[in-house]
Amino acid sequence: MSSTPAKTEYLLLFRGLDWHRGMTPEEIQKIMIGWMAWSDRLVAEGRSKARSSLSGGGKIISGKDRKVSDGPFAEAKEAVAGYFLLEVSGLDEAVEIARECPTVPFGATVEVRPMPAQCLASVLAAAPLERIAAMLNDRAAAQPTAHAREPAQI
Amino acid sequence: MNSDSEKSDYLLLFRGADWHKDLSPDEIQKAMTTWMAWFNRLMAEGRCKGGQSLAPDSKVVSGKMKNVVDGPYAEAKESVAGYFLLSVSSLEEAAEIAKECPTLGYGTTVEVRPLLARCAASELAAQQMATADA
Repeated sequence: MSSTPAKTEYLLLFRGLDWHRGMTPEEIQKIMIGWMAWSDRLVAEGRSKARSSLSGGGKIISGKDRKVSDGPFAEAKEAVAGYFLLEVSGLDEAVEIARECPTVPFGATVEVRPMPAQCLASVLAAAPLERIAAMLNDRAAAQPTAHAREPAQI
Repeated sequence: MNSDSEKSDYLLLFRGADWHKDLSPDEIQKAMTTWMAWFNRLMAEGRCKGGQSLAPDSKVVSGKMKNVVDGPYAEAKESVAGYFLLSVSSLEEAAEIAKECPTLGYGTTVEVRPLLARCAASELAAQQMATADA
C-alpha cells in the first residue's frame, strides 16, 4: 500500500550542439556548473532516473539498402545532445523541469516525450488485427495505461 | 586481452513515426512481431540494456522566454519514435545491429550515437573548479 501518486516516465531530449557558440570559456563553464547542480538535484529528488550526454559523431542507417552514413542525424542546432529520463507525476511536471534547463535561453531546445507504460511495438504485436489501424491513428489513446501507471514496486 | 570488459554504451534513435502508412494491419503486425523478437534477442544476448517507444503527445520548450509548444519536435518522418540503449564493443557493432532494424525498408531511419563515458557538462564544470583551485 502506498499513497504515492502514480508516476510516469518522460524522456527529455536536449537538442542543439552549438548553444555555446560565441561564448567565452568562463561563460560556458558557469552554465555547465549550473547544469550539473540542476541535474544532480533532480537525481537527489528521485525525479531523474538516468541521464547522459551523446558524443557529436555516430552513424545513420536508412533505406531498403541499409545505407550507412556519418551522423549525427540533424544539423547542429537540431541534433540531440543528451537526455534525461524523468519519473514524475505528469506531463506538466516534466515540462516545468524542461523549462529549468540552463541552456534553453541560449538556444537549446528541450523535447518532452512521454514513455508509454507498454512499448507500442509489443502492443501492436499482440493486438487484434482490426484494432491496429485505430491504435496507430491515435497512438496516445492506444496507451490507456500510460498516465495511470502504478508505482513499479510497493 | 578481454574484449568483454571493453563495452561502451550506444543509443539507437529510431526516427520516423509514419513507417506504417502504406501497410495493411497484417503487415504492421508482422513487422512488430519481428521487431519484438529482434529486441528480445538483443536483450537476451546482453547487447541491449533497454528500449522504449515514445508517445507522440509531447511538448517542446525553447527560447529566451522558455516557450512551450506542442510536439513532437520534428515532422513525422524525422521525429524520434523510440530508442534502444546498447552495450557493445564498438560503433561498428552498434551500426551492424542498427542495420537489422525490421522497419528500415519502410522508411525508418536509425541514428547511432555513442554515449559519453563522462557527461560533457560535468567535465566542463570540473575543469572550471580545477582552474579556480589552481
